[in-house]
Amino acid sequence: MVGSLRQWIAPAIAARSMTRVFVTGLGVVSSLGLGRDAYWRAVVEGQSGFSTIQGFDTGNLDRSVAGEVRGFNARDFLTAAEARRTGRCSAFALAAARMAVEDAGLSRSDLEGERTSVILGTTMGEADVIGELEHTWMRRGLSAVLPNKLPLYGSTLLPIHLARAFGARGMVQTLPAACAAGNYSIAFAADLIRSGRADVVIAGASELLQKVQFAGFVRLGAVAPDRCQPFDKNRKGLIVGEGAGILVLESEAHAVRRGATALAEVGGAGLACDAHHITRPHPEGLGSLNAMREAITRSGVTADDVDFVNAHGTGTHANDKVEALVIREVFGSRPVPVSSMKGMLGHCMGAASALEAVACVLTVQTGIYPPTMSYETPDPECDLNLVANRSRTGKADIVLNNSLAFGGYDAVVAFAKPGRLPDPSKLAAQVAASTPPSSASFLQ
Amino acid sequence: MKPCAITGLGLVSPLGVGYDALVAALRAQDAAPTDIFHNHPTLLDPETLGVTPLAAECHDFDPKLYLGDKGLRNLDRLTKMLVVSAKFALEHAGLKRDGVHTLSPERVGLCSATAYGSLEAITEAAHVTELEDPRFLNPNRFPNTVINASAGYVSIWEDLRAPNVTVVDGNCGALDAVLSSETHLLYGRADAFVVGGGEALSIPLYLAFHKLGVLADGERVFAPGRRESQGMRLGEGAAYLCLETPEGAKKRGAQVRAYVVGYGNAFEPPESEAVLVHVSATAVQRAIRMALSDAGLQPRDIDVVASAVSGIAHFDAAELAGIETALGPEVAVVAPKAVFGETFGASGAFAMASAVAWFEGLRVGPLVQGKRPEVLKHVLALAVGYYGNATAVILRRAGA
Repeated sequence: MVGSLRQWIAPAIAARSMTRVFVTGLGVVSSLGLGRDAYWRAVVEGQSGFSTIQGFDTGNLDRSVAGEVRGFNARDFLTAAEARRTGRCSAFALAAARMAVEDAGLSRSDLEGERTSVILGTTMGEADVIGELEHTWMRRGLSAVLPNKLPLYGSTLLPIHLARAFGARGMVQTLPAACAAGNYSIAFAADLIRSGRADVVIAGASELLQKVQFAGFVRLGAVAPDRCQPFDKNRKGLIVGEGAGILVLESEAHAVRRGATALAEVGGAGLACDAHHITRPHPEGLGSLNAMREAITRSGVTADDVDFVNAHGTGTHANDKVEALVIREVFGSRPVPVSSMKGMLGHCMGAASALEAVACVLTVQTGIYPPTMSYETPDPECDLNLVANRSRTGKADIVLNNSLAFGGYDAVVAFAKPGRLPDPSKLAAQVAASTPPSSASFLQ
Repeated sequence: MKPCAITGLGLVSPLGVGYDALVAALRAQDAAPTDIFHNHPTLLDPETLGVTPLAAECHDFDPKLYLGDKGLRNLDRLTKMLVVSAKFALEHAGLKRDGVHTLSPERVGLCSATAYGSLEAITEAAHVTELEDPRFLNPNRFPNTVINASAGYVSIWEDLRAPNVTVVDGNCGALDAVLSSETHLLYGRADAFVVGGGEALSIPLYLAFHKLGVLADGERVFAPGRRESQGMRLGEGAAYLCLETPEGAKKRGAQVRAYVVGYGNAFEPPESEAVLVHVSATAVQRAIRMALSDAGLQPRDIDVVASAVSGIAHFDAAELAGIETALGPEVAVVAPKAVFGETFGASGAFAMASAVAWFEGLRVGPLVQGKRPEVLKHVLALAVGYYGNATAVILRRAGA
């Protein structure tokens, strides 16, 4: 499989006009804080974003804790007109995008026009909008439903709100890839830039906490009582979270032309599907394994070059067991440092891998690995070099962002220090000549 | 873009299941039109709706005929239509023979569009949560509320292990899925992609558009592309096309039905901050021009436009204005939605399927303007969103 992977990828890379893709701006709305600095400070300190849900009554669900975003006032970031036409999910996305654009030092004139695109991920989109519509319809009848509220629903709108705000006139697209949506968005955004269809892409994902979806996760038996313990032997499930992570991606030429600071380079992306079960990962992690290996190979590096893995690590028994198996298979006996941020943020579903991507970029910037909080008891089935309970510093030239999602979606994206990855013009030859990882037998 | 070969099609539509059935039905419709919109939709109870609905429902669709009895209980209607469409498309393309993959399943991906997902499942879950008790939510059906559930199920049923992408771009979804697939094909992430989308009729979907006053129900005139039209009519269905690189298709000896040769997409905001819903003639025009440039073609090279006109007169007028600016007043414009109704996320796939059928000899229609071309080489499929976005895809006849 790995040998074949090289055969497929090398000519494909050679066929495209290649450019480096840089991350030049970051924006965050999270239960740990608003803005990249507040977010990162909390992450490094291992703070918890969990609290008792205030947004809706959890009634007799027997679960009431989530990573709910507090203190978010849409009008602090959005105009009155924008606030009127957005639900909470879009408002998160737009607020985080404004932060990211400011962080990147991009003016409206930089973004205006057809060369700027917006690609966003989500799982449920404007779930609060449809929740309110359904509530009105069921409780007060159809006549009480206001027609002007109806068009506010639709995941289609997420990137459109952002495109309007920044004058972007290129492609607008929503990729609802469940819990891998952030990585899907970043991967496709990088593809658009590499294939010459855009110079700048505002990418990332947004998600909100909503009653029906929360109840659904509880009924699936996936929600822990009060804390999330990724990779711990006694883990009891996930804690649902919400928020938005937005990244500004730029072509190297565009970033250089305007003198931007490259925070990180977007490396290769691996996308695969388990085709196994709608909510459970493949027991041997076949899709996830393909995605991890592909992200490494497409970056023009080997597993030995990867310094840190920001794991999906949901805190559910099935995910963590399979993900640990896959990481061990990819890295062999080398104990690559691994961490899951869901002990702090919870599982922000569509936004999860976007928020974690933001953290990957900051890891590359600072050399700090976020901690896996609430880790107490090692699990022999999750035998990893975990960054347990306290953040750690280390080499962070190349890091991987893992996501394994609902529907069997697997997506992995690599981030690297600018200039650390091979020159794209030489990448095809390098990929073709690279030696397969020692653990290649798994899929051969 | 580098041309992609279309090697197979699979559809579930009110006119039948499978590409061949669809073509036969369209041929029959052309000879002696029947109004499928007056075929009373069983999914839409007039008592619940408070109106007599007119919609194109897939009346005769019985998933058990194609998928067997087992494993269907927890699937929603959208998923069943998509799974059956994928099954037909893969067999039609020869990517499966008698249910067995002819390529490695790790080399076949899926890119599936839907605008609204399963409103049926979302409403069911909301009903239980609102009016009963959230503890009674059915955990086996709850996953259907997640918008990529249908594509996830297609991958499971058909064992498709390359990238699985769900696209939500409203009416533009299925055409935008083409670019996504082309990108993944050219980056070597798959050898073949199943591309298209689906949309299912449901009471909340019908009610929402009825409430917006844009449906041609009752005595209102339904005439897509015409000034006198008083609204659109909803349809439902699913349509997938199999895309491959021409080299890949040739290597496995596949029959190429047509090529996708150009893609363009544009977004234009409305002039007023207070406006949300609008159709932009400028976006339509830019999307078409971008697709022409992408394909290396001139406006005169487009023989027919498989348009997105749906019957909402002011939207149709804006779209036709965009087409005229980009392609001139003479180009032939067809209204596939006069046949299929508005199928949102699936509509672009139905437009592309229509184009393939025209390339293969079906009479082009129903025409909104212009004349049927004597020689058909290029069809431009158009999708127009409600928020200022538009997408164009150019298809070329195989062997042209």
